[in-house]
Amino acid sequence: MHRLSAILLKEWRESLRNKMVLFGVVFLPLFFVALSVYFVVEGGRAADPIDQIVLFNASLIYFMLLPVIIPLAIAVYSIVGEKEGATLEPLLATPISDLELFLGKALASVIPALVVNWVSFGAFLGATRLFVGAFPMQALTAPWIASIFGLSPLLAFFSVLVTMLVSSRASDARAAYQFSSLAVLPGVIPLIVYSTRKTLVDLTLVGLEGAVLLVASAILLYFAIRVFSREQILTRWK
Amino acid sequence: MITARGLTRRFGELVAVDRLDLDVRKGEVFGFLGPNGAGKTTTVRMLAALIAPTSGEATVAGQRLGAANREIRRRVGVLTETPGLYRRLSARDNLIFFAKLYRVADPAGQAERYLRLFELWDRRDAAAGSLSKGMRQKLAIARALLHEPEILFLDEPTASLDPESARTVRETIEELRSEERTIFLCTHNLDEADRLCDRVALFNQRLIVVGEPAKLREEMYGRRTVAHLVDPRPGIEDALDLPFVKGIERIDDALVVSLTDPDRENPLLVERLVELGVGVRYVNELRMSLEDLYLDLMEDDDAPA
Repeated sequence: MHRLSAILLKEWRESLRNKMVLFGVVFLPLFFVALSVYFVVEGGRAADPIDQIVLFNASLIYFMLLPVIIPLAIAVYSIVGEKEGATLEPLLATPISDLELFLGKALASVIPALVVNWVSFGAFLGATRLFVGAFPMQALTAPWIASIFGLSPLLAFFSVLVTMLVSSRASDARAAYQFSSLAVLPGVIPLIVYSTRKTLVDLTLVGLEGAVLLVASAILLYFAIRVFSREQILTRWK
Repeated sequence: MITARGLTRRFGELVAVDRLDLDVRKGEVFGFLGPNGAGKTTTVRMLAALIAPTSGEATVAGQRLGAANREIRRRVGVLTETPGLYRRLSARDNLIFFAKLYRVADPAGQAERYLRLFELWDRRDAAAGSLSKGMRQKLAIARALLHEPEILFLDEPTASLDPESARTVRETIEELRSEERTIFLCTHNLDEADRLCDRVALFNQRLIVVGEPAKLREEMYGRRTVAHLVDPRPGIEDALDLPFVKGIERIDDALVVSLTDPDRENPLLVERLVELGVGVRYVNELRMSLEDLYLDLMEDDDAPA
């Protein structure tokens, strides 16, 4: 726990001083909040109730995309940055275990992403109240709330694990950056299912997705630690 | 403190370290010398339990490599070839982070102790990336010492440092030696190795020779005295018929005389020269450098068998 918290604090301190990471964490949520508000405004204007639902769903989907995208900036840097700064070898020379290292770095990406996501969601509700009066509550159903608060952590964790797995196995830093963008895809698949539905999101779907993500994340974490090769990272990376 | 037997590491077809046998004693500064690509860093990585040997075995700080890697990492400190500091973090935050990873009882206190010891306290809040090369290297050494390791691996600690910074680092190593820590020093700087190391190993994928620098020189070159003469007459070297003289060579106005025990034989040599009517300006010992030894041995190692 001691080492885990040390990794978390270090990652956050570094991220706060990294303009590239900060830009991704601040700019993207602002952009998505603006887009979401736009869809709500458009939904309010739509005459067809189905179009309204599609637009309202579209406005909420961004709060499931953010926890998938935001952690990537931090996660890819967390391993690649260590290698580029030649800090990985001193780090691996300590008695830290692979699980502590992996979990510490994963949580360091997931926690700020969730905080930013939920703060953005609050800002979005505030903005819709300001521009539309209030968010149409028939669209903000329990399944959506369960998705934003329950499913998004799993989505974030899953996407971070994919990114870290790719980063740690990539032959060099450039390859890691390139492949990390693909890590968003597995996380986006459930969102595509959401966005193609023309009905309200239901709890069964949320529960099913949650279960799948939970199992997939557990398998991925196990697999990621198994294939994380200190040796390969030290000797193969250029 | 470190024992290696037949330690080998291959990378595919390439043999980076070939059947290394090594014994490093407690409290000694052990120099590990070799050209670029000799496998020095690979050796350090194996002994610091960062990478596994392909074959062979080693014991580091009483722990078996492979069976107790985490314990080895707890007991050793490693200074890598590049300082590898978190450039955006302050000097103090860098040390506190590593102190926590090593579970040091008082991370902030220990960080302060080493920042003061290495005269970096005034720059404690400066980002590591803004420090000078010498300061970064000192900070990296401080990081390797935070958990008070029994063995310290230093990989090229003065490489790419200016003379002043290099001297500071060397002084630091000398201070560490007085603390009875075992130091495994990889270096290209042969003068540095000569000054700092109790014993040195010359290594080029395999161990070539190991021993105390002075003894290695003596074994390789013997002990030689140079007598600087005043107007030596021709053939003086032939007239010098002393039984203990093992060899004699004339270079300009000087005679280079190979002796067994110069402390006892030098006065007799001077006496005989005076008897022969030759003025002796002064006498000194011909001291071959570790560099001479290194280059000669490396040349022999490269020569076809």
